Amino acid sequence: MAQQASQQVPQRAAGQAPGVRIDSLTVVYKTPAGELPAVRNVSLTLEPGTITGIVGESGSGKSTLALSLLNAVQPPGRISAGSVEIDGLGDVVTFEGEKLRKARGAHVGYVFQAAQNSLNPLKTVGKQLLDLGRSHGVEDLRGLVREARELLGRMGLDGARVLDSHQHELSGGMRQRVGIMLALVLNAHLVVLDEPTTALDMITQANILKIVREVHAERGLTTLVITHDIGVVAEVADRLAVMYGGRLVEQGPTREVLGAPKHPYTRGLINAIPRLVGDIDEARALPGRPPTLATVPKLGCVFRERCAVRMDVCDTDDPEAVAHGSRIVACHAVTVKEHA
Amino acid sequence: MITGKGITKTFKQRGNVLGGREVHALRGVDFSIAKGGSASFIGESGCGKTTLGRIIAGLESYDGGEVSIDGTPMSPLKPKQRQPHFRKIQMIHQDPYSALNPTRTIHQTLYAPLALRAGQTGRSKAWIEERAAEVLSLVGLDPGTVLARYPHQLSGGMRQRVVIARALTVDPEMLVADEAVSMIDVSLRLGILALLKDLRERLGVSVLFITHDVATARYIGDDGELYVIYRGQVVERGPVDTVIADPVHPYTQSLLSAIPVLHGLEQPGEQPVVPVESLNGAQSEEGCLFAGRCPFRTDRCESELPLLGVTDGFPQEHACFHPERRSVIARPMSEV
Repeated sequence: MAQQASQQVPQRAAGQAPGVRIDSLTVVYKTPAGELPAVRNVSLTLEPGTITGIVGESGSGKSTLALSLLNAVQPPGRISAGSVEIDGLGDVVTFEGEKLRKARGAHVGYVFQAAQNSLNPLKTVGKQLLDLGRSHGVEDLRGLVREARELLGRMGLDGARVLDSHQHELSGGMRQRVGIMLALVLNAHLVVLDEPTTALDMITQANILKIVREVHAERGLTTLVITHDIGVVAEVADRLAVMYGGRLVEQGPTREVLGAPKHPYTRGLINAIPRLVGDIDEARALPGRPPTLATVPKLGCVFRERCAVRMDVCDTDDPEAVAHGSRIVACHAVTVKEHA
Repeated sequence: MITGKGITKTFKQRGNVLGGREVHALRGVDFSIAKGGSASFIGESGCGKTTLGRIIAGLESYDGGEVSIDGTPMSPLKPKQRQPHFRKIQMIHQDPYSALNPTRTIHQTLYAPLALRAGQTGRSKAWIEERAAEVLSLVGLDPGTVLARYPHQLSGGMRQRVVIARALTVDPEMLVADEAVSMIDVSLRLGILALLKDLRERLGVSVLFITHDVATARYIGDDGELYVIYRGQVVERGPVDTVIADPVHPYTQSLLSAIPVLHGLEQPGEQPVVPVESLNGAQSEEGCLFAGRCPFRTDRCESELPLLGVTDGFPQEHACFHPERRSVIARPMSEV
């Protein structure tokens, strides 16, 4: 088994899925126009053992938020406020150097966007696995290889063959599974999957999502899935969080959010999904376009430019994220309605 | 009107030790797209749908069969003679970020093909400017704000609209849209799809839509034909809504079963089809091309190749020995 002991990183009880509490997190990027927030005042709790899905369009800050879980936001970005508390680990925002490096991989597994491209083309998967083991001070490398083969076998691959392959010999779906294996092989119990099925075919996507669900349950993980595709979240996630312009605008149990979205953006996004049956004119594109780092309004609600229920207060005040039962929504119109 | 009969295309890969390997990208495909009509090719990557699209746009040669544009067969013609025919068919690529020259303003991008057109038809410079503004308006962009901009100053959705506008400069009769919305933000995709549909209705341009996302294929027009392609063979073909609502080929059923269900809004289909996954990835060339992954295969499927055709009881064409209706797609909660 992987040895992940280190004096600096406290040990967590084995087999226990950690909870994560992101509190008032703000991540800014340095630009010629000053420091602009890519993630603004985001609070999100990942309950132990659940799958949470974050949905957002390009530039919504979802990947930046995910990287914060590893405290891995690259310059010119930096976490300017807030905390990311991981059970058994502490606030990773305060971690640095060796302690941070050890926490990554051993405690938090990360499957990168386009895992297809995140493998080293010059080395076999097995060699990269050994590199990973050595850099984390794993003594029993044979055990690590055995574990990797088991994981790959579990995901329907011929482990020995895959470990002997270079990335170009593997299909997109196989590389994605290799990415998942590398994220889990050090026995991390918190896993972040960034766009796990982008660029995969439908049938392969369905297969990967099934694997994500099963591995999540079998290994007792806390999983975070980042995607632009609501369908992916609908398939795997227990809870759904919607990001727009750096803000978390709505979160709640997946079925509830999909069945009865409260935030106008969530509603618009769901309405914009092409459907297989029913009247094709029912689906509608949202007017306008998503904001970029430079065009996010400094004052007021980030969504107001495209919003159908815009009020005067939206121009001046950024809506607070307010809990309405099991749902947390950041919208003035919703707050007014719920408290009426 | 563009038709194809028995189109085949084989790519030869150079081998190192064991000699070359042949990839059959297309194995005798027939198609026909009427003027002003629409068709969608769906299938997984590597099924040959893009190759077929490129052949139709005149960007790729074919080994066998014949493509005819408005009744004129293309293969006897010299490349120069083909040009005016293929000019009528314009391609819209997947990635609007790399399809536009980043060092040219939108004005420059549109000016070049329009100047060529003006030269051919003896029109004035003023016409070029007028037409540039016109094609931008056609795609829903404001010429005043867009013309002077560079591609990086536009969003993905706007860029794709510029790409479509550029295709319109040469008065095409058909647009071939290859995964044209897959790189566009979710909230803006429908806008591009609606635009393509709108261009069909207003200008009578036919649209060929190539995608792996079945649901988007419906939005080009419900009068369109859907071609489901697997390993270079059309395995099911019929009106879009018929094939989606009532697929009979197990491969089509697998594709539709794989579409994520919006739990909370939709009820999953009762008989989802999950293809068998081959561990070694080797695919048999004998019998039905899908047999190796088909959960319903019989001995016959492994030795004999089913051909596309109509059988009793099903409105669409299919290439399966054992066609059967199965309830695979998710339905809205309100309907069940």
